[in-house]
Amino acid sequence: MSASILSLTNVQIFYDRVIEAVRDISLDVAEGKIVALLGANGAGKSTVLKAISGTLGREDGEVVNGSISFGGETITHRRAADIVGRGLVQVPEGRRLFPTLTVVENLVMGGYSQAASQTRADLDRVYALFPRVYERRDQIAGYLSGGEQQMVAVGRALMAHPKLLMLDEPSLGLAPQIIDDIFDTIIALNRDTGLTVLLVEQNAQLALNVAAYGYIMENGRIVLDGPSERLKSNADVQEFYLGFGQSGTRKSMRDVKHYKRRKRWLS
Amino acid sequence: MEYFLFLVSSGLVVGATYGLVGMGFAIIYKATGIVNFAQGELLMLTAYIAFSLASSLSLSLVPLMIVTIPIAMVIGIVLERVFIRPMLGEPLFSIVMVTIGLAVILRGVTIMIWGPDPHEFPTGLSTQVVLIGPVPFYQVQLYGLATLAAVTLAAWAFFRFTRLGIAMRAVAANEGAAMLMGIEVSRIHMIAWALAAAVAALAGILFASMFKLGPTIWFEGLRSFPAVILGGLDSVLGAALGGLVVGLIENLAQGYIGQGLREIAGFVVIVVILMLRPYGLFGAREIERV
Repeated sequence: MSASILSLTNVQIFYDRVIEAVRDISLDVAEGKIVALLGANGAGKSTVLKAISGTLGREDGEVVNGSISFGGETITHRRAADIVGRGLVQVPEGRRLFPTLTVVENLVMGGYSQAASQTRADLDRVYALFPRVYERRDQIAGYLSGGEQQMVAVGRALMAHPKLLMLDEPSLGLAPQIIDDIFDTIIALNRDTGLTVLLVEQNAQLALNVAAYGYIMENGRIVLDGPSERLKSNADVQEFYLGFGQSGTRKSMRDVKHYKRRKRWLS
Repeated sequence: MEYFLFLVSSGLVVGATYGLVGMGFAIIYKATGIVNFAQGELLMLTAYIAFSLASSLSLSLVPLMIVTIPIAMVIGIVLERVFIRPMLGEPLFSIVMVTIGLAVILRGVTIMIWGPDPHEFPTGLSTQVVLIGPVPFYQVQLYGLATLAAVTLAAWAFFRFTRLGIAMRAVAANEGAAMLMGIEVSRIHMIAWALAAAVAALAGILFASMFKLGPTIWFEGLRSFPAVILGGLDSVLGAALGGLVVGLIENLAQGYIGQGLREIAGFVVIVVILMLRPYGLFGAREIERV
């Protein structure tokens, strides 16, 4: 594994000082790779991303233990603006565009951490990547379709010149065709520009196909990690995340009885 | 007809000050989600400071405005820092209560320093009446209308074209996402208070020089409230127009219906507006995609 650009060491996160959302998480993202963070609803994936971005404080969350470092420097309690300035940029779950602003204005805000003189060239770069965004540039962002919004959200993040792009559930609520488009773009960016990606997904199938390495979270802990190929062949991952039976055939939903067999990694 | 034109002209002029105060309300509401009930007191304090400046330096109206604006901005920043910033993350209602407390404090402090007696505000302008068409205006009234026009235009350009202005709208639209773009939300709040204080100062100077500078001038803040509701609480430009409309309605109500109606006409407008268009004439409706 090449040198890691982002690493979390024994990070523990509390909400309101009493609710432990994440316990003792350690993960590494190697430079130039796509790394997936998988897990069901409420596993704590988004909390981890918020901790990395420095936006936990808004929700009374706090990293109480452990450290987060990016590019060799500790960023655990840095302000969000400082973290973005270092090139660690997040595309939040559910797009979170500025709905009342136009598409261009959204993109310009994405480049807020950069010099104003750069905006023009950066806009052209995003337009080249997403021709649809160019067509819609003067429309109010709130009225775009879900797929277009996701493109704007990714484009907006790219305006900040990310070294590492964190994507929180980019496939959420989108049509399969659009999901493919967006993932193709992300793979191309990774391949052509060496952009490092931390991908948070519920859709394990999709994520493991794209990523080189994966972490699986449950109940605020990382229960399993490894190269995607190995995860894909793990019996538990197959049964609980990819929807295959033990024999490797697709299971009928009628036979799914999760409680029958305990996951091995939890025992 | 002459009476009508007179009512219209003086209505527009008073409306211009409402518009300026209203813009202050709207700027703070838009950026921070707080209705700042101390807006009228901000106007009061800055008007008194301007009064001291005007009497000691004997400045005329326009230079006085230019000198007072930076002072007002500093006051706005200090107030935000001391009273509002520590409340960040508390329920909005608590913060609004703090602004009400702040209002009482500012009122008290101002009266403590300058005393309860009204002052004649020195403007250095002639009291000659200028006729525009058939409508008579005092010079200072024309300055008032021009100021509103200039500030409105400046605000429009600021929110539309500058990165800082767009960032303020972005914070209003989605604070969490704005943070992820590297926008310092607390800095945006600070700037909002500075701008609100600046327009409050302009309104205060104009109002004081049109009428008198007295300890009841803070009430101008509440009187401007219908203007903001009419324009839409989050629409800065709407507040400017709302101010003119409310000024007109008040004056016409007083002129044609009865003396006491001036005070309540604006609030009748609020009630009607809230029933018909709860988001105001220009306020943002929630964008919903189905």
